[in-house]
Amino acid sequence: MEVIRQHFHGLNGIIEELHRLFDAWEHEHALFSSLDADTAQFFRLVVHEWVANLVQHADFQGQDAQITLEVMPAGQRLRCVIEDNSEGFAFPEQIERQRRALSPFPERGMGLLLLNAATELLEYSTTHEGRRRLDFTVSSTADSCLDIPFSS
Amino acid sequence: MHATTTHFKIEPVAHDAVIIRVGASLDFRNAAAFKSIVQNQVDAGVRRFILDFSDTGILDSTGLGSIFSLYRQVSANKGHVMFAAASRPVQVVVQLTRTYKVFRQFPTVEAAVETLA
Repeated sequence: MEVIRQHFHGLNGIIEELHRLFDAWEHEHALFSSLDADTAQFFRLVVHEWVANLVQHADFQGQDAQITLEVMPAGQRLRCVIEDNSEGFAFPEQIERQRRALSPFPERGMGLLLLNAATELLEYSTTHEGRRRLDFTVSSTADSCLDIPFSS
Repeated sequence: MHATTTHFKIEPVAHDAVIIRVGASLDFRNAAAFKSIVQNQVDAGVRRFILDFSDTGILDSTGLGSIFSLYRQVSANKGHVMFAAASRPVQVVVQLTRTYKVFRQFPTVEAAVETLA
């Protein structure tokens, strides 16, 4: 199975770098070629949301951010692992907090919930080396959604 | 003539309606700028917004939140926010969040403008 691994150093410009990389993969028909368009879009959205979360909220304790993206096609699905050297956070508690706090037409607090809705399998853990690890699978066949309240 | 703030372009199409050409992205990097320019429009009496997503490769949760913020303001005055020419990345977010329930979707900007009469 083909595994694509990409390393990122620092957070400045990382979003632009990510999307340039995804555009190149699409353009070269690399990685996304076996996937339908929606699965590729789910993947892009989830990685974007996660890295946006790192850029905005993660504590790297003054160290340079080191982020590794690993992507593994799995039939019609795509598995992805993102590791970073941040302090990490209590993922299940935070996602539950966001779920409970979701107000009608929320302006903030949807990122992790959207990420959760767009993924099939989602696991957040700490590696033996102390890095934070997000492991997820996306597929356009998933029929989940983020249940935003549209009335109070 | 187009007024441009960051990369957002605003085109008036009626006394109370504008098209906003969203451009390449609406996300955590420029959501504050988006809020600022639409606030200026709301303050000037605009209550119908057509968002042109034809060139948009990124719409994230923060970008969507800035659209919700706009909707909260204009809906109080019987205003509307319409999505036009949504690109595939935008359609994915619309489907995942079921926001088609509140934002009317149009295949083209012209189709959205036609409803303004």
